[in-house]
Amino acid sequence: MSAMTAVVQAEGLTKYYGRRRGLEDLTLEIQPGEVFGYLGPNGAGKTTTIRLLLDVIRPTRGLVRVLGEDTRTPAVRNRIGYLPGELALEGREKAREYLEFLAKVRGGVPAARIDGLAERLDADLGVPMRKLSKGNKQKIGLIQAFMHEPEFLILDEPTSGLDPLVQQEFLAMVREVRASGRTVLMSSHVLAEVEHVSDRVGIVRGGRLVAVENVAALREKAVRRVELHFDAPVPREAFEGLPGVRDLRIEGASLRCTIDGRPDALVKAAAKFTVVHMVSAEPDLEEIFLTYYSEAS
Amino acid sequence: MIVRTLREYRRALVGWAVGISAFLAMYVGVYASIRESPETYSQAAVAKYPGALRDLMGGLEDFTTGTGYLQSVVYQLFVPMMFVFAALTVANRAIAQPEEAGTLELTVTLPVDRRRLVLDRFAGLVLGLLAAAAVTFLVTYGVAQTIEMGVPFDRLLAAHTGVLLLALFFGTVALAVGAAVGRRAPASAVVGGWAVAGYVVVTIGRNVDAIAWLKWVSPWHYYLEGKPLSTGWPWGDYLVLAAATAVLLLTAVLSFDRRDVGV
Repeated sequence: MSAMTAVVQAEGLTKYYGRRRGLEDLTLEIQPGEVFGYLGPNGAGKTTTIRLLLDVIRPTRGLVRVLGEDTRTPAVRNRIGYLPGELALEGREKAREYLEFLAKVRGGVPAARIDGLAERLDADLGVPMRKLSKGNKQKIGLIQAFMHEPEFLILDEPTSGLDPLVQQEFLAMVREVRASGRTVLMSSHVLAEVEHVSDRVGIVRGGRLVAVENVAALREKAVRRVELHFDAPVPREAFEGLPGVRDLRIEGASLRCTIDGRPDALVKAAAKFTVVHMVSAEPDLEEIFLTYYSEAS
Repeated sequence: MIVRTLREYRRALVGWAVGISAFLAMYVGVYASIRESPETYSQAAVAKYPGALRDLMGGLEDFTTGTGYLQSVVYQLFVPMMFVFAALTVANRAIAQPEEAGTLELTVTLPVDRRRLVLDRFAGLVLGLLAAAAVTFLVTYGVAQTIEMGVPFDRLLAAHTGVLLLALFFGTVALAVGAAVGRRAPASAVVGGWAVAGYVVVTIGRNVDAIAWLKWVSPWHYYLEGKPLSTGWPWGDYLVLAAATAVLLLTAVLSFDRRDVGV
């Protein structure tokens, strides 16, 4: 697998369900080693895109290639791990038996790896699948997606139903996948769920991809609140008119403001005084995300 | 995949096989007392099923001989119809039921060709029905031997093979409809409608000129016409059933390969 081949290549990818629009004119490339967050409200076209990548449904028009291959090639699906958005696990069969079946069809997975994943996610494999709760089904779904160490993981709403501790473990698993040079596409309707692991995010709305942003760039653009505390009162003039500094408020020895973009100028100005304490809130990417929404609608 | 298919079919198959076996053991066993007093029973039968109803039961001729009794009571309607509905239940589990439940989505994303998936599901249907047919055949033969019914092994085997082929045909109808539309209700409606109407056409409808020609599209015609219990293997008729099944399988494979799953 050449490092130059895009993991996902979509050109003008369009899907109509009868006359209802599922996805329109999607052009997107995802590169090897990238974690791509695919964002949008329910019904925006995320699941449609994902199902097209897996050949569960067929495009109305447009081109799509995955891992350099036609999606119709069954063998390419062996290199993909997939977690469906609406995972259905039913029957009297135990989760372990189902996983063993899936592993076999995918050419074999060491039992120790299944056990290891089950332990990490705190999943019970000895329970009949119809008795599993939604969160526990989701864990089984994650195990089967990760267990054969695929080159490309496609995860549709992976965190839904997971409790916060398991979510953290899941995000650690995604980071490990990225560290090993493999690729992840994960969808969500909440940016906060994917922003910490994604390199890029795509925002889809009403069947159209309205923005693709680098998360680092988004973070740089983001507005963040900063508080500085000094050992003595500071003059307002020292901070007035600094690039990117807004809503400046100085009360004695403390300074509060919001920063648009890089905090560089503020940090350099503050360095002339003695800083005893500094608070910088995480940038609220959700706000930027919502800005895109309002632009798109 | 075939092994897994069989496991998914297992419960339905075992249930139907046990049910049909019980039916067979009971009704074939009853023949012992019918043989004791043939006059009473043949008159009773004729009285109980007058006119058209008798046609529907295949004429009830020769009700008191071993062959005639088996034909009328076992192979005319009840056992093949039960097998047809067993095949329908099982075939619906191939594609339509998992698609409605949502479990098919993950299955089609496995590195397995869609065409192969349908063929494996069909293979599971064949093996499952074969097993059910083998069990019920042994029960029938065993009881028939015990009460000395005087029906030769190969005739009984020929008749039972007909049941298997008929069930396989309707099972494949259900598979093909399920493969094309992914829902159980249409598959059940097509099989139920075709099986019942097809049976009426070759029994009562035989004497109605306007619909008599419809027998050519009734699988029952090819199942019943050869009278395997009295004349042995009707190869031509069975070949028609098998060939029709093969054509249906092909349409199932092609339609499932072309369509969207689960939308």
